Amino acid sequence: MDTTTNLTDPMNLAETLESLRADSVAQIDAAADIESLDGIAAAAVGRESPIATARRGLGSMPAEDRRDAGRLINEIAKEIEAVVATRREALLAQERAAAIAGEAIDVTVDYLRLPTGRLHVIQQVLDEVCDIFVGLGYHIAEGPEAELGWYNFDALNTPPDHPGRLESDTMYLDYGDPADEMLLRAHTSPVQARYMEAHEPPVYIVAPGKAYRNDTIDATHLPVFHQIEGLAVDESITFSDLKGTLAEFARQFFGPGTHVRMRPHFFPFTEPSAELDVSCFNCDGGESSCRVCRGVGWLEMLGCGMVDPAVFTAVGYDPDAVTGFAFGVGVERLAMVRHGIDSIRHFVDNDVRFLDQFPG
Amino acid sequence: MRVSLNWLKDYVDLPTTDTVELSRAFDMLGHAVEDVEHFDAGWTDVIIGRVLRIESHPNADNVRVTHVDLGDGVEQQIICGAWNFEEGAVVPVAIPGAVLVGDFEIGSRTIRGIESHGMICSERELGLGDVHEGIMVLDDDAPLGKPFESILSLPDVVFDLEVTNNRPDVMGMIGVARELAAWFDVPVHYPDVSLPTVPGTPALDVTITATDGCNRFVAREMRDVTIGPSPLWMRERLRKAGVRAISNVVDVSNYVMFEMGHPLHAFDGDSITGERLNVRWAEPGEELETLDGVVRTLGSDDLVIADDDGPTSLAAVMGGARSEVTGSTSRVIMEAASWDAPTVMYTSRRHDLRSEASARFERHVDLNLSPDANARACRLLLEIGGGAALEGIVDVVANPVEATTVAMNLNHITRLLGDDFEIDSSAALLRRLELDVVVDGDSMQVTVPTNRPDLTRPADLVEEIARLADYDTFAETVPTGPVGGLLVEQHRARTTRELLRGLGLTQVINLPFVSEEELLAFSSATPEGGTQDVVTVRNPLRDDQSKLRQSLLPGLLRKLRDNRNRGAESVALFETGRAFRARPWSDDPRVPEQPVLLAVAAIGPFGNSNIGTKSERADATTALAIVRSLAAGLGLDIDRHQSVAPGFHPTRTAGLRIGDTTIGFAGELHPDVADEFELEDRVAIVEVELSAVTAEQTSVQLSPVSTFPHVDFDLSFEVDMAASAGELAASTRRASDLVEKATIFDDYRDSGSGLRAVAVRYRLRAADRTLDADEIATEREKMIDKASALGAKLRGGS
Repeated sequence: MDTTTNLTDPMNLAETLESLRADSVAQIDAAADIESLDGIAAAAVGRESPIATARRGLGSMPAEDRRDAGRLINEIAKEIEAVVATRREALLAQERAAAIAGEAIDVTVDYLRLPTGRLHVIQQVLDEVCDIFVGLGYHIAEGPEAELGWYNFDALNTPPDHPGRLESDTMYLDYGDPADEMLLRAHTSPVQARYMEAHEPPVYIVAPGKAYRNDTIDATHLPVFHQIEGLAVDESITFSDLKGTLAEFARQFFGPGTHVRMRPHFFPFTEPSAELDVSCFNCDGGESSCRVCRGVGWLEMLGCGMVDPAVFTAVGYDPDAVTGFAFGVGVERLAMVRHGIDSIRHFVDNDVRFLDQFPG
Repeated sequence: MRVSLNWLKDYVDLPTTDTVELSRAFDMLGHAVEDVEHFDAGWTDVIIGRVLRIESHPNADNVRVTHVDLGDGVEQQIICGAWNFEEGAVVPVAIPGAVLVGDFEIGSRTIRGIESHGMICSERELGLGDVHEGIMVLDDDAPLGKPFESILSLPDVVFDLEVTNNRPDVMGMIGVARELAAWFDVPVHYPDVSLPTVPGTPALDVTITATDGCNRFVAREMRDVTIGPSPLWMRERLRKAGVRAISNVVDVSNYVMFEMGHPLHAFDGDSITGERLNVRWAEPGEELETLDGVVRTLGSDDLVIADDDGPTSLAAVMGGARSEVTGSTSRVIMEAASWDAPTVMYTSRRHDLRSEASARFERHVDLNLSPDANARACRLLLEIGGGAALEGIVDVVANPVEATTVAMNLNHITRLLGDDFEIDSSAALLRRLELDVVVDGDSMQVTVPTNRPDLTRPADLVEEIARLADYDTFAETVPTGPVGGLLVEQHRARTTRELLRGLGLTQVINLPFVSEEELLAFSSATPEGGTQDVVTVRNPLRDDQSKLRQSLLPGLLRKLRDNRNRGAESVALFETGRAFRARPWSDDPRVPEQPVLLAVAAIGPFGNSNIGTKSERADATTALAIVRSLAAGLGLDIDRHQSVAPGFHPTRTAGLRIGDTTIGFAGELHPDVADEFELEDRVAIVEVELSAVTAEQTSVQLSPVSTFPHVDFDLSFEVDMAASAGELAASTRRASDLVEKATIFDDYRDSGSGLRAVAVRYRLRAADRTLDADEIATEREKMIDKASALGAKLRGGS
């Protein structure tokens, strides 16, 4: 378009700009992408555009025409720029939409996997049981696994000829003075004696940990297993306190509808002694075909009782001044009952396909 | 202890025979019911008949033709293949239409041309035992024509009770009856122990030399005894009790053992050499052939009964073959002795001869029961084996015991059982157990007979009161103790495990037993290493697993291998547990050192994985990264330095320190050890002492968070191959107070030229101002100077 020469003529100018406006708006609306839009905008309002030329020519225009011509140039330039901006927004939105459409993923595919570990199911049960008792006002105590015969047996009122002392039952260590009968503790109960030796009453503790027996591994036996020992000693602890505490534990662990029963039993370190049964959480005693309790309605859960006065004497407590209760629960048993685990071997096989099943 | 309900009814009038109610009674008495077995006639239409005549079969030599009277006077012809009976025998007859055990139907049929209308039955065909060689021959006075089951005490129920070790008295039917009688508050009926005798005294002089092994020895002589089978009723009771019938003499001693809980031993009086028996400890090396035909070498812990020729039996455990009662025995010595319980326990286990008798002696048999048990056995033998019992007996008491008296008061009861208990009602409960109780105000004197050795103190009697009060009646209360909680270390141990879990590690729990080789391959993570201070199990499950671990790593490596063998390519495990060293432990010098360790082992792809791209595989850098994350998570400054440790890779291992204390090692498994454990890949391993990372930390105080902009710049240093780049970054960082962090982002090594270049990115920021270019340049120079002082030459920067 040959406009450079006559744009100082107001008539010419108006005509040229009007046609520029009409052409530009049409082109802008038809622009297919940002790049062509930029080209159109540059041609219409850029440095080399008729608008720029017109601006440059304002100076050589008669003074009386200058104001109107300037206003016209600005008006048209603004209008074109506004149309460009609108079109730009639309094109950007289109491009974003196209990009979004093109970067779809299949959300059913694991493109990235973050590692997931597991706590051993025994650890989970240990922690959970400890937490229940912490909530009931207990602290957690621990003790050695390589232990003196005194704490494992004598302090717990176990007679010198008790079969539990036989090498067929208990694992002994070659260490120290043979008279000390160094052994791998057969239960977590020694922690009771150690704790009472070191602390004045009242005592409210649970002692989680490993226990050792001279048993070959099979579906129901492990040479190393876990127990949680509980001990409460105070001025007026009663048998009902034992029953109520374990009932509360059972409700928290197995479910609020759980009830318990105690049956007399014998342990050297408690008197009276009892075994605690927990109502079957699976059938509540209603089904003869129940896979969990086999129709008995009760699950044998743990041994317990009132601390034998001989134990208090052994640890230096006055058996006339305090009473207490103690219990010991097998952690593997809790896990097996709750999760339907058929063999105790699983816990030491440590097959990741087993461990992975318990997210915790 | 197997308890037949029909048998039990001889001794106690039970208010119920409902098995559920009785099971509950047993359970709540403390004799848990392990099993309830129902005994019913496993047949129909088996009738008691008498064999009138026997003829040979004209066409078969191996069977006979019998003519049997089924009580109706009609002769029934039955062909029978058994030869153990004669005319006149009373036998069980399955008549046509009968169904025997295993749904075996009996009909009339013709055998080699002769009709047979039914079958004469053996024990096995009726499900009453194993005997199949001959048919059952019944007592002559069995009622002809009546159903066979009518003389069998069927139906019956057998409760299999778990009797606790402290209750020898419940190892007999009478003791069981006494318990139920107390529960239901009904009387006990005791069996007749009176014995008709003939004048005379056994020509036996018994001495107890081993007075620490034998409490009492009672013996009576029976003459002219006819050895033969026991009557059906006794065989049936023994069957339900779980033993086989042998002969009347043996059966009687077993029967009284089950009835009274007191084992007996009968031997052939004519087999004794000389007229003296001595109860003594065996001479080491002495031999005895026991009833099972095994010649046993005895030790000085074994108790024997010996005559002039040496041991005749292993006391309490098994009789000797030499003095066994045989079919030709007529002079029977019936022995009822009470032995030292631990002696029996050790001997029976040492010789692997545990029996119904040893189970009772191990619990302690009341020696004041011995004369009655002896008389009862002799009385029964008289009834079923004939002969005569001599009036005089041998009775040597080595360790007499008498009833004891326990003084207790109401407070003993209420402080354990609660305030609902009163002295009179408590005394009434104790009296139900046949204890003699004298109440005086709030006190009572309780006389305990010698059959209850478990009751010696008030606490023991409190249990009896609680038991009979029914544990179910006690309320459930919860004591109001102090406030509980986790200790800081316990809380941090949990955090540690959770952090490792979050890093993708799976916790395992291994047995702490290892072999000598595993111990050698790996000692615990201490610089000196070695296999000194090993704790050995004296009686291990397996000889090759007799050592206690000093490191958790051997166990973890085994599990890496096991899981790999099962198809897992990527296995990342951790464990927390004790390791053991044979030296005094600081926590308690009386026991071996046994700190809790934390160990990690990982093999194969580890960490994040992207689809289509290969994941990083575990190696030494994985171990370092795990330690770094753990330290960050626990708020610890864990310093790493190039180090060596047994079992660890010599050039890819870091010693870990907190302050000046070495806490463990992280790096890679030594390739030689990897070979030993059959691990064909690099393995990342870490082991630290858990308490080092769980120890309480000083509380974190906030550092100001600057609101001013930061400046980053990189410096690249040329360093020695063996230099510690981490130390270089840390030192240069400390050269300026304005450095917020210094991160190594490249470590280029060209082993050919020996060039190593370490690039560090520094971030500078001031708490109170925006840094200007001059300031930045000044700080940069400080770092370059510091690096130069450490021998690192600047290569360029930006």
